[in-house]
Amino acid sequence: MYPFEYRRASTLEQALRMSADLAPAAFLAGGTTLYDLMKLGVERPVTVIDVNRIPELSHLRLSRSALVIGSGVRMSDLADAREVRESFPIIREALLAGATAQIRNMASIGGNLLQRTRCTYFRGTHPCNKRVPGSGCSAREGIDEGQAVLGGSEHCTAVYPGDLATALLALDAAVDVLGPDGARSLALADLHRAPGDRPEQDHTLRPGELITAVRVPATRMRQAYTKLRPRESYSFAWASAAVTLSLHPDTATIEQSRVVLGGLATRPWRVRAVEDWLHGRPLVEAVALEAGRLALRDAEAGRHKAFRIDLGTRAVADALLRAGEQHE
Amino acid sequence: MSDVLRVDAREKVTGKARYGADRTPEGLLHAAFATATIARGRIVEVDTAESEALAGVVSVTTRFGEDELGPPSFVMGGGYGTQSLQPLRGDRIAHRGQPIALVLAENPVVANHAAELITATYEPEAHASHLDADQAETLLQREAIPIPFADDLTFGDAETDMAAAQTVVDATYEHPAQNATPLELLSAVVQWHEDRLLIHEGTQNAGALRNGLARQLNLDPQQIEVRSRYLGGAFGQRNAQHPYLAPLVLAARRAGRPVKLVLTRQQTFHQASFRPQTRHRITLGADATGRMTAAVHEIDQQTSRHDLFPGGYAKVTSRLYGIPSYRSRQRLVRNDIQTPGYVRAPFEQPGVWAFESAVDELAARVGADPVAFRLANDTSHDPVSGLPFSSRHLGECLRRGAQAFGWEQRPLAPGDWTDDEGNRIGWGVAVGAYPANVTPARARVRVEPDGTVLVETDGHEMGQGLTSAVTSLVTRELGIPAEQVRVRLGDTRVGAQPLTAGSWGTASTLPAVQAALEQLKAGESGAEAGNGLPTALADRAANGLVAAAGPVYGEFAAFSFIAHFVEVRLERVTGRIRVPRVLSVADCGRVANRVTAASQVRGGVVWGLGAALREHLVTDPRLGGFLNASLEEYPISVNADICAIDVDFVDRPDPLLNSSGVKGLGEVAMVGVAPAVTNAIWHATGQRLRKLPITIADLPAGGRRPPSGPSTGGSRPTG
Amino acid sequence: MQIKVTVNAEPTLMDVDPRESLLDVLRERLQLTGTKKGCDHGHCGACTVHLDGRRVLSCLTPAVQADDTTVATIEGIEGIEGPDGELHPLQEAFVRNDALQCGYCTPGQIMSALACVAEGNAGSDEDIREFMSGNLCRCGAYVGIVAAIRSYAAGQP
Repeated sequence: MYPFEYRRASTLEQALRMSADLAPAAFLAGGTTLYDLMKLGVERPVTVIDVNRIPELSHLRLSRSALVIGSGVRMSDLADAREVRESFPIIREALLAGATAQIRNMASIGGNLLQRTRCTYFRGTHPCNKRVPGSGCSAREGIDEGQAVLGGSEHCTAVYPGDLATALLALDAAVDVLGPDGARSLALADLHRAPGDRPEQDHTLRPGELITAVRVPATRMRQAYTKLRPRESYSFAWASAAVTLSLHPDTATIEQSRVVLGGLATRPWRVRAVEDWLHGRPLVEAVALEAGRLALRDAEAGRHKAFRIDLGTRAVADALLRAGEQHE
Repeated sequence: MSDVLRVDAREKVTGKARYGADRTPEGLLHAAFATATIARGRIVEVDTAESEALAGVVSVTTRFGEDELGPPSFVMGGGYGTQSLQPLRGDRIAHRGQPIALVLAENPVVANHAAELITATYEPEAHASHLDADQAETLLQREAIPIPFADDLTFGDAETDMAAAQTVVDATYEHPAQNATPLELLSAVVQWHEDRLLIHEGTQNAGALRNGLARQLNLDPQQIEVRSRYLGGAFGQRNAQHPYLAPLVLAARRAGRPVKLVLTRQQTFHQASFRPQTRHRITLGADATGRMTAAVHEIDQQTSRHDLFPGGYAKVTSRLYGIPSYRSRQRLVRNDIQTPGYVRAPFEQPGVWAFESAVDELAARVGADPVAFRLANDTSHDPVSGLPFSSRHLGECLRRGAQAFGWEQRPLAPGDWTDDEGNRIGWGVAVGAYPANVTPARARVRVEPDGTVLVETDGHEMGQGLTSAVTSLVTRELGIPAEQVRVRLGDTRVGAQPLTAGSWGTASTLPAVQAALEQLKAGESGAEAGNGLPTALADRAANGLVAAAGPVYGEFAAFSFIAHFVEVRLERVTGRIRVPRVLSVADCGRVANRVTAASQVRGGVVWGLGAALREHLVTDPRLGGFLNASLEEYPISVNADICAIDVDFVDRPDPLLNSSGVKGLGEVAMVGVAPAVTNAIWHATGQRLRKLPITIADLPAGGRRPPSGPSTGGSRPTG
Repeated sequence: MQIKVTVNAEPTLMDVDPRESLLDVLRERLQLTGTKKGCDHGHCGACTVHLDGRRVLSCLTPAVQADDTTVATIEGIEGIEGPDGELHPLQEAFVRNDALQCGYCTPGQIMSALACVAEGNAGSDEDIREFMSGNLCRCGAYVGIVAAIRSYAAGQP
């Protein structure tokens, strides 16, 4: 690991000041991504600012209109929170589908949203445009079985691996950020970016900006998260799907829905065309499977990744059907 | 035999059991390797300047003199090492990840950073990394290694009998490369005391480390002491001297301080042996009555450019049944990789998976129940040697297993069985066998003043429970409680410590201990005995060389046997594969210690499930090496993957093999699990999948809809 | 940087490199080698310890982050070799159910299992399997591990 300077901030103001004074700096929360990538030599920050002891970041509040989650809240605490169990089961489902109990005790919500790809070339020493801009993409002509089938560019097809962001996008969440230019809020849909010609940039945060909270609007929609992976636990997704929906009380047809793909695209991937198509249709198996197929209609099969298109279809169908089975 | 709880469990649950790297002697230095980033070629220059300039770096070595670091030797070529390639001794790069520099530093952080700062320039060459690669070279094994051990097996007239067969199955099966991934990282702590060398390393072969180092470094073996009391798993990956050890010892001597090396997990994938990729073509013929009449097993297996790792797949597939005509043909395919090696059931896992899959296809083709078909083709004699088996209760394993599993409820036709939720159900069966080899072992037994009985013996404790089996024997023979028995092994101070592998540990050590106990009971206060193998073999073992007898002995052939029954469920919408229950019935002779034996079998089943459904090494043919070289990407089973595993034993002593009546268990436990899984998947879907691992991606989604009427009677999983 | 950590009830002052992991500090400096390294990247669980009462991976915890915290390792489990040489009931359950073979993952399994039960995630075999999936066991002792935790959890008040 390359040497770095370690600083600990006890307030948000202090964290921002350190970040401005000691750039380029990285914020350290749970460390499960950053410290790991530093061990691999992939991340080499000059300064690391520990934000674990900033009390304002660990609040969790439920109001009538929204659940507000401090970015420093740990995955396990959020999954276990009464508010989440009762009102946002998909958040718990997605959190528990990720990592392990130990890692969930460590990893923060802000860090989880900004976790980096698990692309094997990115984490290795082979050429990778995301790790070393301009060095080339080894996955392009290589083993692409784990690469994105949606949202890739000629420079990068690395998958965004998170489960939580996929679920939060189906809840239409937003994030609060604080930076040198003050506070702002942006839709979660606008946080992650596709690689395009700048694959090194995973997200739209400006230099020195820190996520302070996630806002999830209150909802009465049915919800489900389905994750298909190489083993039953402790594994990133081959394909996943988050679904929220409401059914017409009389006809039981779909009134409103959000369908988001995970593990398949370069960013959390909402498929509005499918949501429109589902409107007014009955939630039966044939409809669910067709919705799954539509969701992956534009996916690229590559050389070794066609199977994940099929798995994406199944994940969408399963999440739709499971959401439909829930009682409102 | 009285059963004891695992005798070292207490030390293990308290964290007191000390493994190789759990030592921090005074003045300890930490080592780290920089490794090659090409798959084949020549090193032009290694740049160590930045690394050497770091505070805390003690030394950086890119090359040892050929006079101080002698040539290595391959364990399967009459030597001691995992391969015959010694890094840091020349400029050739034979595989990706080969060490190019060794760093010693005051602490691990500095050592690792110094290693990552080292860069090199190379002259790369075209390379081959899989069976079908352009640069691969294919050899006929019997010509490349012209010794009986590596010869093809042929008896009867397979071609003529196949031509006359009523029904023939001819299929090709692809088995991936796999890694043993013992959880303990490969590591060593080496320490010189004047001209004496002490090695702490978890190894299955302390004798080879001692003798291999002595030969390479021009030392007397008596100067070297190797201690391997505990291993954090081995599974074949720690069966010989690793290429890192000799350079480490030299660096420690130069520095005049003890040194600890812990390879990174990524490095263990690239520096240690692995299960080579194989392809199996199986041709089977049966007559009109459903008797198998002919079998052909053709194998292509990876080996390295620098060593010939001999395959032994036919040894077991020729003996599963009483097939009168059999022919094997084994080829070796040279790739630019580190030398592959023995991974739990090295040949039996891939070979029997392929063979037992074909047997199942044949049974289906002739319309027979797969258990009945196997029973109808059972044999009491070894078809290869014509000798009787010392004991063979495979038929009983099948019958007992079928009854306990509820086999009679199984519909014969595939693809037609679903549960109430519409998930597909499939039941599969397969058998396994494993040669009963033995290696020389000696044991000393004495009664201590406090009444404790001390046993000092050859053998290594890898978690298989050898210490418990020895303790169990002593308690039975002497009528004393387990607390009064102390066992020392895996240590060159108490024995030559030849290789513990091939499931021969218990069957080799127990007879020696038993013989010593007989002397003790005859009134001696201390006794020493061997296990009765010929002197020539014992001399080899005493010098750290592989020395095994069997499985064909003068008047009999000896094998362990097992039958596995597997249920799979395929989730209707997603196609997720679940294995709610497995039942295994083993014939391992007398069960040496029931508690640890049952764990051995369950562990073997977990391995078989992983091999069938998850584990495979991925190679990018452009780059060489292994792409998924981490415990994240190489998916060994997690707790949530495993459900009920029931174990039963025939538990009848083998009357001929040895005085203890025991046969091996650790590997046969795994053999046949994978085909039982794939046969169950066929039963659930009607699909014969001939490439491992089988994943959700290979299976159709959407089993059938749940029945709208009353249940069609799919049984619930009992697991 | 100087840190103060209470390790197994012992207040400990140390100068650490910010790069050092808690795992390496425990093993190499404090000789608490019951905590094992199986991957060093959060992929195996062998290094599980309790930090302020919660199970975490010591390999992914920079030692500086443990400043001012309480760390418990396998060596600090209450009941170990007490006056009567007694084991903690969970350790006893691991022995009785033969929930181990080589023993290398065992300290991590036990630290993880203690937390698993305390968290209330050991209510069913299915829960135990899921919430213990962060601890790989290459010997494949999972059936015994689940049985040990089930029996220990059942004996809880």
